[in-house]
Amino acid sequence: MERDRKPIGFYLSTAWLGLCAFLSAFGDNLPITDWKANDFERAGAGLFSPGHILGADFDGVDMLAAVIHGTRWSIVISFVSVFVASILGGALGIVAAYWRGWLDSVITMYFNVTLSVPTLILTLAMVAVFASPDPFNPQAAMPRILVLIISITFVLIPILGRIARSAALSWTGREFVMVAESVGMKRRQILWSHIVPNVVPSMMSVGFLAAGVVIVVEGGLAILGVGTDPGQSWGSMLAKNRGDISIVPHTTLVPAAAIALTVMALNYFGDYFRARIDGRESRI
Amino acid sequence: MWIVGKFGGIAKQIGRAVLVLLLVTFGITVIVRLLPGDPVTSLLPFGTPEQHDVLRKELGLDVNIFQDYWTWLKDFVRGDFGQTYTSVADGGVAVRDQIGLTLPRTLFLMLYTTVFSLIVSIPLGIFLAYKADTRTDKSISNTLFAFASIPNFAVGLALAYILGVQLELVNPVGYVPLTESVGEHFKSMVMPVLALSIGLISTFTRLLRVDTIATLKEDFVTMASSKGLSNQWILWRHVLRPSSLTLLTSAALNMGALIGGAVVVESVFAFDGLGTLIAQSIYYRQYLAIQSLIALVAVAYIVFNVIVDILYGVIDPRVRSHRGA
Repeated sequence: MERDRKPIGFYLSTAWLGLCAFLSAFGDNLPITDWKANDFERAGAGLFSPGHILGADFDGVDMLAAVIHGTRWSIVISFVSVFVASILGGALGIVAAYWRGWLDSVITMYFNVTLSVPTLILTLAMVAVFASPDPFNPQAAMPRILVLIISITFVLIPILGRIARSAALSWTGREFVMVAESVGMKRRQILWSHIVPNVVPSMMSVGFLAAGVVIVVEGGLAILGVGTDPGQSWGSMLAKNRGDISIVPHTTLVPAAAIALTVMALNYFGDYFRARIDGRESRI
Repeated sequence: MWIVGKFGGIAKQIGRAVLVLLLVTFGITVIVRLLPGDPVTSLLPFGTPEQHDVLRKELGLDVNIFQDYWTWLKDFVRGDFGQTYTSVADGGVAVRDQIGLTLPRTLFLMLYTTVFSLIVSIPLGIFLAYKADTRTDKSISNTLFAFASIPNFAVGLALAYILGVQLELVNPVGYVPLTESVGEHFKSMVMPVLALSIGLISTFTRLLRVDTIATLKEDFVTMASSKGLSNQWILWRHVLRPSSLTLLTSAALNMGALIGGAVVVESVFAFDGLGTLIAQSIYYRQYLAIQSLIALVAVAYIVFNVIVDILYGVIDPRVRSHRGA
């Protein structure tokens, strides 16, 4: 098997996600136009116009600066919620698969109950629960981004948990687990040394796919009017500019393209890791 | 005897589905109670204390959560889905009427999207499997992969711009009922259906392609081709059915998810379907409506799941023997 030659998609996806990571960390320190500055003289400038490579929206905001600024929270919301949900959902799923019995029934029931409500509807409901409790005292409200992260995490837990459970189930019956049990290894030890290390790779591949889904969900929430504050993420850029699509389509298409490219790179990684896991499996 | 085992299995599945439904609806009651703010003052901001008391009673907020849930459940099973509340004096609308208005739209959307996606992806998936690993297969598969990554609302916005604004082929927003004008009805459905289908087509095609490639390696295919049957005949008559199990499951589950899950695309096209109705009930804190609508969507989704599971055995007899064993 050729180990070193990776397909070109791998390098492209790495480059794109690396760029996103860099922009999330340092985007605001780059010597570019301020994403809040309004260049009204050139409002609605098209793509590749001088001074505004990606054009400007109707408020004269430079699209390049805006899309760079939007990177941070789009990426953070997606990765934090997927990370937390993988740990919580993964733990629930593995415990359910390994201990079986009533614990499994309870956890599986929780997964099924949550999964029977469409994802976006449930997220909307959670956002409503966590969002500003009192219109007269908005200071008391949780920051919008935290509301989104908590709501999305809550919705992701059963999705990732169910996957972790079925991945763990396929390992609990293997010979090496039975051998470990028969030589008197403690269940907790078996769990940590044999089950968890085998479930983590599948969770990682699913995690990439889930991170892509979250970026899309965040965009959807923004379009429905419950996303981040204006300009804070790609989704909120879409939501802000979509009314102008018939006149300045690029202001909507630029953030949409950023979302699509990121999701594409994440999906690619997800598929790539899954193929590698399957390859490893088939060699056993 | 798979039939006996099957019926035992079906009874068990239905029992489990009912339990899930009870828990979902109770969970929604809890969430609705957790919604911040006092519902009575937010629905009737200028009401008198007496009016507030009446509303509190109607919403079931004067009793504990279990009694409230029980009352709601009794009404729900009887088909009384409650009503909406507004601060305007003429009062609200029955949730049932709202459903009557939005459900047909959503059902059409769901049906057209699924049928259209299947019509495109079944031949495409079979074709790609037949051409597996050739240049044609690779380029089409990669394009599909890219399409699967574009969010459906982005496709929707782009379509609205290209078809609606630039080419003026269709009206960018709105819905026309079938009874009003058949042609206009289909025209009004083109864009939402396309927006929802593009992602589905790439998922479906990829699923069918992988399964078909696996089927093509089976002995009965070699057997059929050594009998001298034509490739066309083998692909359509021998290979499609055993390969379509994952595809049909995924299609059916997606249909369930589309019932309330197309909210964003609905919103992009100002297409007032069930998803939009639920989103609005959440914004406007329509407590009874939220409860009944989400419950309805969950019922539909779970019923779909059970049907799919039962159909498994019908489509692929091998599943029966595996389960019977």
